Amino acid sequence: MDKVFSNKRDIAVFVGPTLLLFVAIVLVPIFVSSYYSLLDWNGIGRGEFIGLDNYIEMFTSSRALNSMKNSLLFAAASVFLQLPVSLLLALILASSIKGEGFYRTVYFIPVLISTVVIAQLWSKIYNADYGMLNTLLKTVGLPELARDWLGRRETALVASFIPILWQYVGYHMLLMYAGAKSIPSEIIEAAKIDGASRVRTALSVIIPLMKPVLKVSLVFSVIGALKIFDLIYVLTGGGPFFVTEVPSTLMYTTIFDTFRYGYGSAISVFIIVECLVFTIVINKLFRTE
Amino acid sequence: MKALRKNVLLAALALVLAVGLAACGNGAEGGDATTPDGNAGGASSDNKNVKTIELTLWDQSVGATDPSAKLIPEIVDEWNKANPHIQVKRTGTSGEQYKTKIKTALAANEAPDIFYGMGGGSFMQPYIENGNVLDITSYVTDDVKARIKPGVLETLEYEGKLYTLPVYTHIANLYINTELFEKAGASIPTTYTELLDAVQKLRAAGITPAVVGEKDRWPGMYWFNIIAMRQAGYDAVVEAFHDPSKWNSPDIIEAARKLQELAKAGMFNDSMFSMSYEEMLGAYNAGNAAMMFQANWVNAGIEDPSSATSGKVVVVPFPVFEDGKGTVHEFLGGSSDGFYISANTKHPDEAYQFLLYLSEQLGTRGFLAGAGLPTWSTEGLDTSSLSQLDLTFAELMDTAEAFIPWWDNVFPASSADTHKNLIAQLLAGEITPEQFAEQTAQLEPTELNL
Repeated sequence: MDKVFSNKRDIAVFVGPTLLLFVAIVLVPIFVSSYYSLLDWNGIGRGEFIGLDNYIEMFTSSRALNSMKNSLLFAAASVFLQLPVSLLLALILASSIKGEGFYRTVYFIPVLISTVVIAQLWSKIYNADYGMLNTLLKTVGLPELARDWLGRRETALVASFIPILWQYVGYHMLLMYAGAKSIPSEIIEAAKIDGASRVRTALSVIIPLMKPVLKVSLVFSVIGALKIFDLIYVLTGGGPFFVTEVPSTLMYTTIFDTFRYGYGSAISVFIIVECLVFTIVINKLFRTE
Repeated sequence: MKALRKNVLLAALALVLAVGLAACGNGAEGGDATTPDGNAGGASSDNKNVKTIELTLWDQSVGATDPSAKLIPEIVDEWNKANPHIQVKRTGTSGEQYKTKIKTALAANEAPDIFYGMGGGSFMQPYIENGNVLDITSYVTDDVKARIKPGVLETLEYEGKLYTLPVYTHIANLYINTELFEKAGASIPTTYTELLDAVQKLRAAGITPAVVGEKDRWPGMYWFNIIAMRQAGYDAVVEAFHDPSKWNSPDIIEAARKLQELAKAGMFNDSMFSMSYEEMLGAYNAGNAAMMFQANWVNAGIEDPSSATSGKVVVVPFPVFEDGKGTVHEFLGGSSDGFYISANTKHPDEAYQFLLYLSEQLGTRGFLAGAGLPTWSTEGLDTSSLSQLDLTFAELMDTAEAFIPWWDNVFPASSADTHKNLIAQLLAGEITPEQFAEQTAQLEPTELNL
């Protein structure tokens, strides 16, 4: 093994193909998109170079700013609502309870289902006329609460958070569960001997030792929320009246409905930069240990 | 020995992976019917010294109740049997996905030889202007023109040239569920006042007067389009399309006001903003609403034996306004979707032959199957299999004096989007009619010759 690692040529041979693929499929399109974002172009024919005008428009357009606000709200909801729930479930499951394997599987099932299917499922649950939610409210005697969840400005955004948070709780739970399980049992026993309660052990021992896993979950959760597309697109299409719009759906409708490829590319570059910035910030936050 | 076995296993594993990759690659290309470059595979010669040409056809007729979904494969089969050296391979993709797919393919210069395009204008316009579509003006001979109904070819011309042939056309009218109307004691409206009256009676009887799938925004647009046409009249609307400042006029403001009045009177379903077009059809066909303003492509679903509306729905022209300038002979719709030939096709002559065959066959047989209204001559056709709805549409079509296509096809793309959003806001009561007219006046003029 050492022989392989120390021989630079061998490393190059093994890394080469993947690096090539990565450059071709990931890096090159990003650079090409960045170039397109400087044009006023309808996707076919010639584009007109307009410099940073697309970016200026993006940061002054109330619709674009609203979509950015929505994606940040999603990120916040993921971090402060979804991750704590995942953490709690992970810690409970990791403490050797009955049915550990069963619950682990059950919580993970939504992750396996296609996002489009989840969106269809929830849009039927939220349906104003025959949806499960309204029917449930009417049956338990709360018909005033029944409403058009996805069709009203006030409720559409919060209503669209829930399927996303619900879907990936199991994913993060699994990551954290693996992290919690990998802590040597001697440390947990030592804490028990010292007289620490379950909760105290969790807070002072397990969670600090899980930091690397928490960082990974945090990064995935935030990036996923910033990039989200398919669920919003199928659930609400960005509506009603753009209240649930996020940068990726805005980009999609800009390009395919209004033929503005340059502006759409600018939005895509923004999403990439935003994700990169957040990743770096999160990494830095965790590195100050 | 162990080392040898390990090496053999490693080699075998590598081989399996490589074969798997190759198989996947080939499988994807061979089995994937959407390979755009069909011509590459077509130059193989058969033993008769005649080259077999392969043409690719893309369309969007895949709906379960869409008559074209059955007709197109039949027509392609017939052509393939009759023309062994011009084989056509067809791929169907549904509605909104089709739009994305064809736009992407055209932009990447990988368009199929023949493809379906939404008629009227703003959909195909950028591609025609960019030279992606074949100009077929010189191919269309006089005897072909003679077989097409008068006035139709003119609506398809773009800057005096032809890029497509008509298939069938659609107009929008008001569908009335007579059973629900009787239950409420309402009479079929012929004027605006009668329409408001019907709304009140239907609501009093606990029936949703009309269902509209405003999540997709264009169903609501149809309502505003016809109301504006009835209020301002055909000429004023056409004028405004060419000179957008005319949108800010008393008639348009009044039309917007009437739409809001209808909405406030409870005309539409409460769930309209989260209901899609498909869900609207489902709701109407299940008998959940009394009226719907849509085009004749919905006929098949309404008359389907499994629908609660089968045999109970009639169609009437949209009511006339007592204070409006529009007449009952002015219709929303009338343009024809059609098939276009890619400018990059290697076989333009054969592609045109197929285009002519497909357009005429689908146009006439589609009409007989209730897919649309005829644009080709209907002499000698047996119309006995048409439903009552289809026949009524054909009758109404004969009374038509003027057509305006769906406005999101007349406006240029970006303006069409804004137009639909403004109507949605109007329906929600978020902007006043005056604001609506002001903002509509900011839209761009049409690039079609209406």
